[in-house]
Amino acid sequence: MQACTQTPTFFSAAVMNSAQGANGGMQFAPPPRQDMEYLCADCGAKNEIKSREPIRCRECGHRIMYKKRTKRMVQFEAR
Amino acid sequence: MPDGSFRASSSSAPKDTFSTLAREKSFKSPTQTGHTVPILNEFVKPHLESFNALFDDSGLDSGDGDGRGLLSLGIKEIGERVVFDGKGTVGAESGQSGWGNKLSLWFESVSIARPMVPEKDTTAKVRKVFPAEARERLSSYRGRMSVKLCYRINDGPVETELRDCGLVPIMVRSVRCNISRMSSSELVKHHEEAEEFGGYFIINGNERLIRYLILPRRNHVISLVRPSFTNRGPSYTPQAVQIRCVRPDQTSVTNTLHYLSNGSAMLRFSWRKQEYVIPIMLILKALVGASDKEIFEGVMMQDYSNTFLTDRVELLLRSFKQYSLYTGDQCLEYLGDKFRVVAGMADDWSNKAIGAWLIQKLVLVHLDSPRDKFRMLIFMLRKLFALVSHSCAVDNPDSPQHQEVLLPGTLYGMIIKEKLEEALVQLQRNIIIDTVRGDTSPDFYDKRYLKKVCNRVSWDIGAKLANFLATGNLISPSGLDLQQASGFTIVAEKLNWMRYISHFRSIHRGAFFAELKTTTVRKLLPEAWGFLCPVHTPDGSPCGLLNHLSRTCRIITSPLAVAHIPALLAAHGMSQPFSPSIDGRRNLCVQLDGRVIGWASESTLKTLSTNLRIWKTEGKHNIPLDLEIGFVPTSQGGQYPGLYLFSTRSRMMRPVKYLANGKDDQIGSFEQVYMDIACTPEEIEQNVSSHVEHSSTNFLSILANLTPFSDFNQSPRNIYQCQMGKQTMGTPTTALRHRTDNKLYRLQTGQSPIVRPVLHNTYGMDCFPNGTNAIVAVISYTGYDMEDAMILNKSAHERGFGYGTVYKSQTVDLKDLQGRRNVSKPTLHFGLGNDIRIEEGDRQHSCCQFLHPDGLPIVGTRLSTGDPIAAYIDDTTGRTKFVKYKGDELGYVDTVRLLGSDAGDSELQKIHITLRITRAPVIGDKFSSRHGQKGVCSQKWPAIDMPFSESGMQPDVIINPHAFPSRMTIGMLVESMAGKAGAMHGLAQDATPFQFTEEDTAVDYFGEQLVAAGYNYYGNEPMYSGITGQEFAADIYIGVVYYQRLRHMVLDKFQVRTTGPVDPVTRQPVKGRKRAGGIRFGEMERDALIAHGTSFLLQDRLMNCSDYSTAWVCRTCGSLISLGYDDIRLGEQHIGPNAMAKPTGPGGEYCRVCRSVAEEEDKRAREALSNGRSNAASNQVHTDLKVAISSQHVLGSARKGSDLDIIAVPYVFRYLCAELAAMGIAISVEVH
Repeated sequence: MQACTQTPTFFSAAVMNSAQGANGGMQFAPPPRQDMEYLCADCGAKNEIKSREPIRCRECGHRIMYKKRTKRMVQFEAR
Repeated sequence: MPDGSFRASSSSAPKDTFSTLAREKSFKSPTQTGHTVPILNEFVKPHLESFNALFDDSGLDSGDGDGRGLLSLGIKEIGERVVFDGKGTVGAESGQSGWGNKLSLWFESVSIARPMVPEKDTTAKVRKVFPAEARERLSSYRGRMSVKLCYRINDGPVETELRDCGLVPIMVRSVRCNISRMSSSELVKHHEEAEEFGGYFIINGNERLIRYLILPRRNHVISLVRPSFTNRGPSYTPQAVQIRCVRPDQTSVTNTLHYLSNGSAMLRFSWRKQEYVIPIMLILKALVGASDKEIFEGVMMQDYSNTFLTDRVELLLRSFKQYSLYTGDQCLEYLGDKFRVVAGMADDWSNKAIGAWLIQKLVLVHLDSPRDKFRMLIFMLRKLFALVSHSCAVDNPDSPQHQEVLLPGTLYGMIIKEKLEEALVQLQRNIIIDTVRGDTSPDFYDKRYLKKVCNRVSWDIGAKLANFLATGNLISPSGLDLQQASGFTIVAEKLNWMRYISHFRSIHRGAFFAELKTTTVRKLLPEAWGFLCPVHTPDGSPCGLLNHLSRTCRIITSPLAVAHIPALLAAHGMSQPFSPSIDGRRNLCVQLDGRVIGWASESTLKTLSTNLRIWKTEGKHNIPLDLEIGFVPTSQGGQYPGLYLFSTRSRMMRPVKYLANGKDDQIGSFEQVYMDIACTPEEIEQNVSSHVEHSSTNFLSILANLTPFSDFNQSPRNIYQCQMGKQTMGTPTTALRHRTDNKLYRLQTGQSPIVRPVLHNTYGMDCFPNGTNAIVAVISYTGYDMEDAMILNKSAHERGFGYGTVYKSQTVDLKDLQGRRNVSKPTLHFGLGNDIRIEEGDRQHSCCQFLHPDGLPIVGTRLSTGDPIAAYIDDTTGRTKFVKYKGDELGYVDTVRLLGSDAGDSELQKIHITLRITRAPVIGDKFSSRHGQKGVCSQKWPAIDMPFSESGMQPDVIINPHAFPSRMTIGMLVESMAGKAGAMHGLAQDATPFQFTEEDTAVDYFGEQLVAAGYNYYGNEPMYSGITGQEFAADIYIGVVYYQRLRHMVLDKFQVRTTGPVDPVTRQPVKGRKRAGGIRFGEMERDALIAHGTSFLLQDRLMNCSDYSTAWVCRTCGSLISLGYDDIRLGEQHIGPNAMAKPTGPGGEYCRVCRSVAEEEDKRAREALSNGRSNAASNQVHTDLKVAISSQHVLGSARKGSDLDIIAVPYVFRYLCAELAAMGIAISVEVH
C-alpha cells in the first residue's frame, strides 16, 4: 500500500484502483476539487454545481447552463 | 399586406441611403412594439394561421361558422362509436333485442396547452417553456394535449373522462406558443431573433416545417381524360369528372364520376385506401328518392333536341332497371347491405341507416343536404356528358387554376383527427374483443373496467405527431386523400437568411410527380403568373416541382361570411336552383363553393360577376374581398361555362388594382385566367384591361426580387442566382449564441450591398448581410482566371475579404454511451476520476490541457483530431474515459452547454459543444456575384502584381471577360457601373428590375453618374500591368460588384490518397472521403488508358496502387491455392512414409496437389512392382487428371510438386480462386 503511494505512476494507480474496487484505498490524495461555476442560460446567474448535482439554476430553476470561458491564458500562433 | 404597402412606415429613411444609423439603433434597442421588419411576419402567415385555425380561440375570422376550431369540428365529425355487451338484457331504448347494454363512446372536446415546465419541477420560477430552451436543450417544443372522452350506457347519464394524449409539438409563434405576441425587444430577451416569425416546429432541437403542398382545388368539378381509366374495368372510358370535396374540418374525399362506354356513369371514392365504385343512378335515387323523370329532366334541362344527351340519359335510366330498385329507401337499404361490413358501424343500425351514413360520409362531403348533393351530381353528369360530346374541354390539373394549397395546420389537424378516431376505434375493438372472447363478458357499469380498457389503448398522440414531424412520414389507415405518404416535412436550415426564408415560401407539387416520366407537370404555365415565381425553382430533379410563392401571393386561411350571397344574387336576376323549368341551353350554373345556388343567362352572369367585383372591392353588401368570382364565359369547346364562386380557405390570392373603380382587388388563380391584367399602368388598354398590377415585380418571389437588375440578365442566370443565394455563406442569424444547429456558416465581414433593389430594404435584408462589395476588374490577367476561375487580391484577402467561420456542434450524451442496460440510475458521470492527475506539474495528465476537472472542455481551447473533448467516469470500473474530437480540422471550443432534464431534477448526462472552425478563403473556394456568375478562387495574387488604375486602385477580384458573351449577364455589368457610381457618391443604388426603358437606359443613368465622379462614362478605365507597369492596350472594365462566398469549400471536398485503408476482403482501397478512401478508377477510365497505350499508368492505377499482391503458383498444375510449406530452414529434410525425401522448393514450399498426386502414383507404382501386375489400370485413373495440365507441365511431374513460382496477381484474383474452389471449380494459371 505504502509502496504504491510512493510510485504513483498513473498506470499502476489505475490498476490498483480497479483491483481494489470502487471504494478501495486512494493511491494518492485526490486534490481538493474546486466546484465549477456555470452561468444560467436564462438569467445569467452564477451557479456552483457540484458533480452529480442536478442541472438547475438556483435563481430561476432554468435547466441549461453555460460553461464560463476559461481564465487561463489562451494563446495561439496567429498564422 | 404582403405587397409591402406599409413599407413607408417601417423605413422612413430616403431610399438612396444605407440607413446605417437607423439599423444600428434598431440593433441596439429593438422596438418595444411590434417588429423592426413587420413584413417578415406576413409571409409566414399561412403557416401560423392555419395552425391557429385548429383551436377555438384562434382569433381568425369565423366566417359563416361559429368560430369553432378544426379540432372541435373534427371530433364532431368523428361522431360516436357504439358497443354492446351481448348480454341480451335489452336496454329500454336500444331497439333491437339481444344486443344487450349499449355503450356509446365519443369525444366531447380536445385541448392543447402551451408548452409548460412539468408539474414535477417545483423550483422553476418561469413556468413557461420558450422555444430557445427547446432548441438549446435539443428537445421538442411541445404542449400537453388532453381529450374529454364521454360515454353513456343505454340512455343513462353521460359520464366523462379526461385522457392525456401526450405532448404535441407546437408551432412557434402560433396561439399556443409562448412567444406568439412578443415584440422584437421581448424576443431578443428570450434569446430569439429580433425578426423571429415562427411557423415551424422544434423537434429534438431541429427546426422543422411542414411544406406547402399543391392539391386539386376543392369543391370544384374538373374534367379529366386519362387513358389509365380504361384499366379500371370493362367498358370504362378515359373520360371522367372529378371533385375533391372538403368537409368543414378540412378533411377531404375525392369523388370521381367515370363515363362508361355504355352511356352510364360510375361514382368512385375510396374508403380506408380501398376504392369502391357505385352506379351513379343508385346514388341519385338514394339521395332524394328521385324519380326517373326527375333525373331525366334534371340532366336534360329542356334541351330535348340534343339527341346525344337524350341517348345517354335514356341508357342511364334503362341500365338501372336491372337492379329492380325503385324507391330511395330501397337504394339506401341496398347500399347499406353491401357496405355493412366495410363501414363497421354499430350493430343495431339498420341497412338504411348505414346507406345514409355512407352517402353522408363519402359522397360530396362538402355538402350537407341530400338535395344539394343531388343537384351537384346532376351538374357533374352534365359536365361529364359535355366532356364526352367534346362541347367542353379537358381541364388541366397541373394548372394553378385548378389547384390550391395544403396548409401545414390543415394537415396537422387531419392527422390529429385521424389519430383520435383511431384511438376511439381501438377502444371500441378492445371492448368487442372482451365481449366475444372474454370469460366473463365485461360489465359496462363497472367504472374500473372502462378505465382498464382505456389504458390498453395507446393515447400518446403527441409522440405520433412528433414522429410525423421528425420524419415527414404519414402513417395513416386512410391516407388522408393525399397522393403521398412521406416527404411532408423539411428542416428549416439556417444556412443563411435567404435560404431560411425561402423554406417558408416553398410549395411542392407532390412526391408522386417526382417519379413521373412525363415532364408536363413541371411546365411553367401562364396561369401561375403572380402566384408561383417563374424564376425561383431549383434546376435538376426537383425543377418545376418545387416552386416558391410569388412575393405578393397570399393563401387564405380563414373562412369567409358568404351565407347571404345566394339570396343577394337571386335578388339580382339569378333563378333559384329549385326552379322547375330552366333551359340548360340558355342558362349557366352558378356555384358557391361547390354548391349549385342557381342558374342564370350568360349576360346576367356577366353583369352579376362585375357587380360582385365592384361590391367586394368597395365593401358593399358585405361581400368579402377574398371572394373569388370565377366567371367562365361560354366558348366553343373551351372550359365548361358558369359562375363559380369560391370563399373557402387554402386558395392562393394576390392583390391587384381593379381598374373600374381604382380600388384594391384580391384575385384568385381561378378567376385570373379570365382577366386582363396589365403589368404596368402604361400597358392598360381601354375596355380590355380589367386590372393592373400594383408593381411590375410582384410576380417574382422574394429571392428573385433581390437579384439586382434581373431584367438585364438572361433568364437562366436569374434561376442560378436564386440557387446560389441560398448556398451563400452569410449571416444565418443574429442570435448565434443560442443556436445549436449542426452546422452554421458565417461570413465575418458581411456588407450591405451598394446596389440593391428596393425590396432589399423592405425585407430588412441588411440585418443579415450575405456578401461583400468587391472591386471587380474584367480582364484576362495571368491566365489564372481561365474557365470561370477568379483571382483574389492577396491583400484583400488579408484584410478579411470573404473570411468565414463554420460552427459545428457535437453532443455527448452519456445515456447513449451507457446503452439501455441500466435505466434507473446513471452509471456514467462527467468528470475526471481519481486515476487522472490534475495538479500542475510534469505528471499532469495530458487531457488537462483540454478539460477541466468537471470533464468538460475548456471554453476557448483549440482542438485537433483525437484530442479529448469530454471525460466521464464509469462507476462500475472507476476509470475515466474520454470522448475524442473526431473532426479532421482545427477547431476551437466556442460554447459548452450543460443540458438538464425536462424537470431539472437529474444530474448532468448530456452536453452540447459548439466548435468554431475558421475558414479563411483558400484556393479552390467558390464565390459568385448575384447574377449566376460563379467561379473558383484560383490564386491569391500579391497586391504588388495586381493591375492598377490611374488613381492607383487595385481590384479585389479579377474575372475573365469570357464569362460574359455566352451568358449574357448584362445585369452584372450594370451592377458594376452602378456600384462604382454609388461608392463614389455614397448612394445606395436602386437596382429594382423594370425601372429603365429603351429611351431612359441604365447605361446612360449610371454613365452620367460616373462622369460626375470623374470616371469614364462606360465604366472602363486605363489600367497598368502590376508586373511591368505598362498600360494595357485596352481600357479595363472595373467597378463594384457584390460578391457572395458560397459554402462549397475545398476543405470539405478534397479527396486524395496514395495508400490508406483497404477493404478487408478484396484488399482494394475503400471508397468515401470520410474514410480516407480513393476515387474509383472505373471501366471507362481504364478504357481511356488502354486507348492511350499508357500501360505503365494502367499498371500503376489498377495494380500497384490497388490490390497488388504476390502469390505462389504451381508451375505443374497452375494452382494458386495449393501452397504448402515444409520447414527446411535448418537443412533437415522431410521424409515421407516410404523413407524418401519429399521434394520441396528452395524455401521449403511445395504444391500440395501435385505432391499428393506424385505420392499416390509412387505408392501405386510400388504396389504394382511388389505384386508384379501391370499398372495399366492405375495409369488410367490418372489420365483424366492430367488432361487438364498442359504438356509442358507434365514434364515437371518428375519434381513431384516442388516447382513453384512467385507471381504478382491482384489480391481479388486470389480471392476469386478461393471462392471458385469452394464451388468445386479449379483455376489453372499458366506461367511462362
